[in-house]
Amino acid sequence: MKKRLSSFLIFCLFNSFALAELPNDKMGVIGTLPVPYPDHWLLVQDASFFHMLNGKLIVLDAEQKTRNEQYKGTFDNSLIASIAVAKTKPEIYVYETFYTRGNRGTRTDVVTIYDKASLSPLGEIIIPGAKRASMIMSDYTIRLIDDEKLLLLYNFTPSTSVAVVDTVNRKMLSEVSLPSCSLIYPTGKRGFSSICSDASMISIQLDKNGKVKSRNKIASFFDIDADALFERPAMINGIAYFPTFNGNLREVDLKGDKAVPGDSWSLVTSQERAANWRPGGMQLSSADSAGNMYLLMHKDGAEGTHKNPGSEVWVFDVVKRKRVKQIPLQLPGFVIEVSKDKSPWLYVTNVEMNIDVYDAKTGEHIRTLSDFGQESPFKLFSAN
Amino acid sequence: MKWFDNVTESVSRKVAQNSSRRSFLSGLGTALIGGAVIPILPVARAADAHGGGQATAPIDGELDDPASCDYWRNCSIDGFLCSCCGGTSTSCPPGTEMSPITWIGTCKNPHDGKDYIISYNDCCGKTSCGNCFCNTNVLDRPTYRPHTANDINWCLGTESAAYHCTVTLVLGVATKKA
Repeated sequence: MKKRLSSFLIFCLFNSFALAELPNDKMGVIGTLPVPYPDHWLLVQDASFFHMLNGKLIVLDAEQKTRNEQYKGTFDNSLIASIAVAKTKPEIYVYETFYTRGNRGTRTDVVTIYDKASLSPLGEIIIPGAKRASMIMSDYTIRLIDDEKLLLLYNFTPSTSVAVVDTVNRKMLSEVSLPSCSLIYPTGKRGFSSICSDASMISIQLDKNGKVKSRNKIASFFDIDADALFERPAMINGIAYFPTFNGNLREVDLKGDKAVPGDSWSLVTSQERAANWRPGGMQLSSADSAGNMYLLMHKDGAEGTHKNPGSEVWVFDVVKRKRVKQIPLQLPGFVIEVSKDKSPWLYVTNVEMNIDVYDAKTGEHIRTLSDFGQESPFKLFSAN
Repeated sequence: MKWFDNVTESVSRKVAQNSSRRSFLSGLGTALIGGAVIPILPVARAADAHGGGQATAPIDGELDDPASCDYWRNCSIDGFLCSCCGGTSTSCPPGTEMSPITWIGTCKNPHDGKDYIISYNDCCGKTSCGNCFCNTNVLDRPTYRPHTANDINWCLGTESAAYHCTVTLVLGVATKKA
């Protein structure tokens, strides 16, 4: 009897295990991302400098503590693309170059439109002429304007021009030639300005069809040899704040139809100037939603140190023209970005090519985003 | 990514062991693989300062070594030295194409004390060389003055815009800084 009972119990136990078997998984399930992305998500452009065909954009959640939780997805881009992340719609625009045989063959320049949720292409717009500017990435080689209905693309052959793209109907509208002027600084209702090689500027307004409505030349207003403007300003409330090589800040008002150069003021005290504290780096400036400018700074600056990593990030109230904070970095960095929410985070690509995350208000180091498959993370985009 | 940890350790060790930026850089160049350290000179300078070391002047021999970032012609270079890529400081590696359009620097020849105009021609058509990356920026200026800007890929007017390495050609004695 005992033996039968134990056999029965073993049978029941076996059966209970059988009941706990896993159901079959569905095949072909693909993840998607929440849109809009949460405030502290970060988009990292890896230039893949040692094999530029294989650039990529990586989406990270900086709130998470582990690398596996941080990594949300990625997509490819080719030959150091220019990338613009839309704020008002779930799209990312990638201006890139392909050859039919890898690095050789027939060239195609194209704007690939990616969906933020699926990280997959939604469409593409071919840009003719093989003119795309191939250079270290910047917010000012590609720019959305006119409530993100138009996309402007910088071309360099070395003749310069700007291609105008309709993002609603996904077609190229026009190409605006520039007279030895470079880059794209959004200006006025539907226009842009460019800096020219003689330190002047040109401002251009467009009509709805992307045709030139007005052109205005702004006379030369700085000295490129003595104290050049960095080409990557912080944009705050329609004003471009250009740091200079020697540690000054030049304001250029871009709210109207044409650029209006304003004052230049010192970012450093006389003591700091004597110690040669200077701005430097690649993506060296950013801004928060309260209107503060963040700037990478290094000591012992000299001719040729303007791309050196900064040991500190200095924060300026640009209206009061006053420094409000100094954030010493754990490791020197050369790329910074600040999130635009009310509790802003400061992201810094450091000299080990990892990304340090700081509380921008307190300067406290929160964590390091490291070893997530990146090689040369030269451009950071806050999700908000 | 164990190799990356090794890189960090190697950098720290080199900083500790060498007061010479030269030695430090050659160690760094050996240790770093892949795209881990792009702006190698600025990065190395910063790492040097961070580690407590003080950057030192170039060792004389390296001013004449075309495979050194401190080779006198390399004062405003941003890329891979063709001398380390199967070419020389004045010739491109096999199978590449030299760009006819360039940026220029003005570098002092330590032997005659004269400033020379240097044309930095990119060699194009293959993937990045990956060896001997240098980024020195004396008299480099932003890309709105293109002819002195080394942030631009100057593989222009070539069959392919793929960047491989850079050569340094003397164009003449400078009468004033470019």
